[in-house]
Amino acid sequence: MASEPMAAASGAASNAAASTNLLELNDIEAGYGRAALVLRGLTVQVPPATVVCLVGPNGAGKSTVLKVASGMLAPRSGSILVDGVDVTGTNSQRMLKHGLAHVLQGHSVFREMTVAENVLLGAFTVKDQKVIDERVAFVQNLFPIVGERWKQLAGLLSGGQQKQVEFARSLMVSPKVVLLDEPSMGLDPKTTAKVFEQVARMRDAGTAVLLVEQNARRALETADIGCVLDLGRVHISGPAPELLADPTLGELYLGGRPAS
Amino acid sequence: MRNDSERTASAGRTASADLGPALTETVVVAPDAPRRRRRWSRAVSLALLVVGAALVLSFPFIAPNPYILSAGVVILNYAVLSTGWNFMGGFTGYISLGHAAYFGLGAYGTGLIVKYLELPGFVAWVLAALVVVAISVPVGIAALRVRGASFVIVSIAFVLILLLVFQSWREFTGGSEGLIVPRPFPDLLRPEHHRAFFYLFAGLLAAALVAWWVIDRSKFGTALKSIREDEDKARSLGVPTTRYKLIAYVLSALVTGLGGGLYALWFGDLDPIFQFSILIGSYMVLMALLGGVRHLFGPLLGALIVGIALEYFKLEFGDTQFHLVAAGLLLGVVVLFMPDGVIPAVGQLIDRFRPQQTSIRDVSAAELLEQNRRSDASATGAADAREASGEASTRDASDVSDASDPKEVTR
Repeated sequence: MASEPMAAASGAASNAAASTNLLELNDIEAGYGRAALVLRGLTVQVPPATVVCLVGPNGAGKSTVLKVASGMLAPRSGSILVDGVDVTGTNSQRMLKHGLAHVLQGHSVFREMTVAENVLLGAFTVKDQKVIDERVAFVQNLFPIVGERWKQLAGLLSGGQQKQVEFARSLMVSPKVVLLDEPSMGLDPKTTAKVFEQVARMRDAGTAVLLVEQNARRALETADIGCVLDLGRVHISGPAPELLADPTLGELYLGGRPAS
Repeated sequence: MRNDSERTASAGRTASADLGPALTETVVVAPDAPRRRRRWSRAVSLALLVVGAALVLSFPFIAPNPYILSAGVVILNYAVLSTGWNFMGGFTGYISLGHAAYFGLGAYGTGLIVKYLELPGFVAWVLAALVVVAISVPVGIAALRVRGASFVIVSIAFVLILLLVFQSWREFTGGSEGLIVPRPFPDLLRPEHHRAFFYLFAGLLAAALVAWWVIDRSKFGTALKSIREDEDKARSLGVPTTRYKLIAYVLSALVTGLGGGLYALWFGDLDPIFQFSILIGSYMVLMALLGGVRHLFGPLLGALIVGIALEYFKLEFGDTQFHLVAAGLLLGVVVLFMPDGVIPAVGQLIDRFRPQQTSIRDVSAAELLEQNRRSDASATGAADAREASGEASTRDASDVSDASDPKEVTR
């Protein structure tokens, strides 16, 4: 299988005991239909209060990792653990109950529903109205557009605004693990900065974040650990600042030399 | 829920203002115009509602002859059926073409209970509704396993099965000979009978509309609509899609069944071909689509239009199939030109004459800058309001020239 020794999954994580990881993907093999395997023995661990960022060229399997982790795609082999509980083969609806939320790539607002309905659906599993009110105030404060367009149909918003509604929706619950697929897609630089600021804030609150991002440099600046994916495995992983500083990696995967 | 969210919306806005200068640029003072417009349109809809209700209630006295009155009963019956259909079709987007199954079951259930158990008509009506619920649960569980075109076909299959059963089971249902249902008010003359049932149907319709309205504003309703938009996404947000769809389906069957039962008591003569016809089911869909499935009064409006048209064609062309051709043409026109129905189409027409809403931002760059300055000033303390306003106004002069600087106004 793996001809080269598996790179230590993630610097900090590999030192920690297995049970302390909020999310563990162990030796995952996965693919679509009869096509060749996309993931070939991938192992990623996300400890609490850590942002792990997956980077790598197109087709390396970054999005597939998130699909497997969220239960949308069943792995052919390997195991998935959320907070120590084996959830391999669980569907995406159950995953939410285990404390894992997945923010999908692209636009996934309910277009024919109001912004309010979209955001409140994010708190569907929350029963306490007080908590919901608090979260609504919180997300409206964070993404003002959400408050401004509260009564409008989400489909009438621009792409970037819809993205913010999606974020607001995903922040209505406070999950243990968040999977973020391309959070900066279609956002202006200022909103992107806010999103990453929010990612950092979630991390500081103890959430484990697994992030996939094309804007690799920007993402690694926020992330604690970077994993470079290639050919369906973790090629190299380590503390994000080290990866950012590595000139070879920069050349190969991050596009150009490190900024400044 | 709407009111709550409105409250929290404004709470969120004030909260962001409290955070001081760093976030003040995001505070957009909601212009008064939309709120005034909303209040205005609310007053208009309330007035329309009152006028509409008054018209309905006085119709039996306005109606020039018993025939027109009986046509009114038929149209109200259509409105009940179509509104019942809309509990499923409108909220979840599952198009059932076989809802005549529940119309027929409600009608035959009532008739058969009166015939065999010799219970009073309205007791039979309630019992038949319970039977409809009991049948719709397993059928719903089976049918809702599939989506889209498959669901449509399953719904049609169900009504066809019932048609065959009620036609062939002569000893029990009377088969094609039909089933006579005794009148619940034997003392009433025909026009009075129509009048009584007109009010009964109106009451049932009102109850159905209130139920739909309540669901529309509830968390349950929001979840159903999310199923209509994207069932998988709804599921991933934790919406128990299967259970919710089933509840909507059973509610829909219940209202339709109640409409059928009332029809049986009113008309007094049941025939399987009419009760379990795909045509009746199609009319429900056509009426709801015509009026607008996302609107409370959509199916009612559709029933009014289609019902009057059908009666007219039957009157004018007798026993020909012209009314079917007309219904088909109408369906084509609706799908092509008003896919969302009459109510949204008219709403869009009215919106054309209203001031345009800007799509990107409610305020211009200059206004935004001015607001920021103003909130800056208030954030630094209202110690000397006059000075602050003086400062703001001196700044204003420079704002106009600065406003085109993109750096200053980027959010």
